[in-house]
Amino acid sequence: MHIVKQLMAIPGVIAAGEYAYRGDRFSYQGALTDEFARMASILCRANTLSVNMQAEIFDSFADSCGCKPVQGWIVRGHAITICAVGNYFAFIDNREELLNDVMTIMRAKVGDIHDDLLVNLYAKLGGDTREALY
Amino acid sequence: MDLQRMMELPGALAAFTYSDKGELQSHVLREGTELTADVLELLARSCVANLAIAAMEARGWESLTGQGGFQPLKGFSVVGLEWSVVVDGNCGVVVKNRDADYEATFKALQAA
Repeated sequence: MHIVKQLMAIPGVIAAGEYAYRGDRFSYQGALTDEFARMASILCRANTLSVNMQAEIFDSFADSCGCKPVQGWIVRGHAITICAVGNYFAFIDNREELLNDVMTIMRAKVGDIHDDLLVNLYAKLGGDTREALY
Repeated sequence: MDLQRMMELPGALAAFTYSDKGELQSHVLREGTELTADVLELLARSCVANLAIAAMEARGWESLTGQGGFQPLKGFSVVGLEWSVVVDGNCGVVVKNRDADYEATFKALQAA
């Protein structure tokens, strides 16, 4: 079953979607409008890019410190939480045990994110991104 | 802040506190972890930055969409390959992904 569909089947998941690393193309299901889903995709892409940049810096301090490549991030609001793993995101209610369940499913279904993520994220900049990065 | 208590959270590898500017103030590392005080120092600075960005996004999202539920922010986590850092306020915990209980960790940080 598709990851988004599987996430939406869990009670308490408000919306879930997939965004493209290389731009603002996206797909989603749940209680978002097209415009809000577009904004959510841009927000997720920006945060993913930011935490990956930070992981690059951590790695320069300590080789193989265990943070790189970043798999995702979580923003915990007082009633809603946003989870992002790879290029998938989910808006969920702050219900008991839901965050752990959603993170387990996302990590299992998306799989480990590899080093090429950052290349994909930067690819929108154009040129030879591999050369520019490394 | 009782960092030793934070170290009792499932999978905890390190616990630390930091100033509003992101300066590392105190920390505890589990023996054998590859994390160092230098990494925690940098991590603390990134935590302050990430919490500030997330708060800005929460404020913007709520005012643009009318959807409440984000503010006040209750924390932020970055999920790395082997470990995750979970932060709220001026305290953070690094937990091993395999054993991480994100809910319990956020809850413990809020109660701290």
